[in-house]
Amino acid sequence: MNPAKSYAHLFSPLGGDAGDNYRAPNVLTFLRSPYVALNAQALKKSGARYAFLGVPFDEGNIGKPGSEEGPREFRLASQEYFTYWFEYNIDLYGTAVDCGDVSMPKVSPDVARDRIYRAVREVLKAGLVPILVGGDRSLSIAATKALSDHIGVEKKMGYLHFGAHLDLADSWAGEKNLAPCALARITELPNLAATNVSHIGARNSMNPKDWIDLAKDRNIRFIPMREMLKEGVYETAQGAIDRVWKNTDAQYVSFNFNVMDASAAPGVTSTEPGGLESREMMRIAEMIGMKKIVTVIDVSELCPVFDVSGTAARLAVCVVTRIMAALAKARGEEIDASIRRSDLMAG
Amino acid sequence: MKAKQDYVWTFVPHQHQGVAEHSGENDHIHSPKKHNGAFKSRGLATFMGAPYCPPDRKAIRQMGAKICFLACPWDQGQIVRAGTSQGASGLREATTQYFPYMFEYDVDILTFFKVVDCGDIPNVPGNNAKSHDLIDQYVSECLEGGAKVIMCGGDHSLPIPGSRALSRYKKKEKIGYLHVDAHLDAGPDWAGNKITNCSGPARAIELPNCSAQNMAHMGSRNSLNPKDWWDFYVDNNIRVIPMREVVERGIEACAEDIFKIAWKGTDAVYFSWDTDSIDISCMPGSTSPECFGLKGREAIELARVAGKYGCDVLEVVELAPYFDVSHMSIKMAANMIYHYLGSRARTLIDQGKTA
Repeated sequence: MNPAKSYAHLFSPLGGDAGDNYRAPNVLTFLRSPYVALNAQALKKSGARYAFLGVPFDEGNIGKPGSEEGPREFRLASQEYFTYWFEYNIDLYGTAVDCGDVSMPKVSPDVARDRIYRAVREVLKAGLVPILVGGDRSLSIAATKALSDHIGVEKKMGYLHFGAHLDLADSWAGEKNLAPCALARITELPNLAATNVSHIGARNSMNPKDWIDLAKDRNIRFIPMREMLKEGVYETAQGAIDRVWKNTDAQYVSFNFNVMDASAAPGVTSTEPGGLESREMMRIAEMIGMKKIVTVIDVSELCPVFDVSGTAARLAVCVVTRIMAALAKARGEEIDASIRRSDLMAG
Repeated sequence: MKAKQDYVWTFVPHQHQGVAEHSGENDHIHSPKKHNGAFKSRGLATFMGAPYCPPDRKAIRQMGAKICFLACPWDQGQIVRAGTSQGASGLREATTQYFPYMFEYDVDILTFFKVVDCGDIPNVPGNNAKSHDLIDQYVSECLEGGAKVIMCGGDHSLPIPGSRALSRYKKKEKIGYLHVDAHLDAGPDWAGNKITNCSGPARAIELPNCSAQNMAHMGSRNSLNPKDWWDFYVDNNIRVIPMREVVERGIEACAEDIFKIAWKGTDAVYFSWDTDSIDISCMPGSTSPECFGLKGREAIELARVAGKYGCDVLEVVELAPYFDVSHMSIKMAANMIYHYLGSRARTLIDQGKTA
């Protein structure tokens, strides 16, 4: 245990000037983490494991707009939670920093994508895990390329994709880098083998035939929702996760929360019926954390304007932070269980 | 002299500027090549983007349509909150977010069935009986045109004229009637009115060729079910699968049960599917939503089983987009129909049959 660390954040507010006021977070950052400029040296110095990046980019989407409000809502929802996880006896305090939002030029998607790419490279250079919150799914194209270039062609990466849609359009209306092209571009990365790609949650007919054909051509393993329900949600999810971590040096986990049933996450750009329930996703998040290592996490397509009572944003926060907590648990980073609030009050 | 008009089923994806630009019949099942397809530039928002066909038996026959979509913005046959008159418009809107290709069944439902949109059924405000007569006429035209009918309401008084039309069309044979709903809807009358949304099954059993042994109800729960509605099923010995039984036995087994009942010795089936059979969390956009209903995945499974057995009229009612959240209800309704059609097409293809 680090005696220099304060433990007040583990407990209900103590009152007085020392106690955090739960409803007055001062500056809105991911999990009330400190803001650190997007600079490799500064990030390294912070000692954190995760660097949060907001990506308010909505110019790769083909349907309902609104995902550029995603990062704001995600940060806001994260204020509702403590860094302490009773289920794992884990404290995430100090494990994350917030690098703010990637600056967006608007109406110049190529410039925006380049900035996303450079932001991810910078965080990876510092040895931190970027947590990107978008923004539409096309951000994953730039971010996976950043990871791929970062590790170099000699190393291997794995890619885990959650979503109701396969996003395997080789092109869409002649464009190659839109959200529906995400998985098509990602599976072209030189150090990502098809055997290390998994797609979870495909269903319904926003999956045109060329996407299915491309999946077959490239041997991309996707587990449709129907297969998950028939073969067992957890068994199939574990299989999908294992593929991504098998003999890979880096792992990229990408969420579009339309993988959830529309009822569990209404605040996404394209809701789909017949998806995962939140109780199922919580356990899947834990399975990911139990792998002890993850290199990049992204969340795309959060669409707060359609959300109800913060449902989707809170789910997204819980999934990301649960991965962080389970990962810490798997690495044996449990805190001293004997710490009590009364000790602080006495001191 | 009026020239005779030939109706030909043609489908030109919206990304093409007319038939001359259309390079191949399969363009619509792939990602768009030229512009953003139907997704933000929709052309005319018909059901599934299907071509319009007048609700006329000759036109339907000439086009060779095997599925006619009928929208029914009728909202005055019901006793609960209003809003279903916009149901079909919402459904059409939802279908602009989907392709007619379904990977789960590897079929293109649009061209397999030569789906057509026959527009909205007209109605007479304040006059339930006259409006029902129009519904009866429109459904009859589609059936006489050799097509099966997908009808989207509108309130749940629709099955009264709808099943009447099917009964007349199949007057020499027997028909089955299925009612999937949170509510039993079997009132002999409601304050003296016999043709409201509370009496679908009660009127169906009075049809000359529909008997209790070919009727079933599934999904009932909670207490918007007065005793006379329950007594109807008990007294007529009609199979009811309440929601509690669905939860215990699983949706697949229960759905198989009701379709076996409906098809036992019959030549046609009327399937009346109320959106409130689905849980309020997955279908907030319904007029009287109820908790403890089918989850989205279960509704899709029911559609899949229904497609295995088929029906002559599939009616989706009580869809009320005013109360919807993030398109989830209209997309659920679209998937009830799409998964039915996908599963139906797959079943027919596997049996070596055409639509």
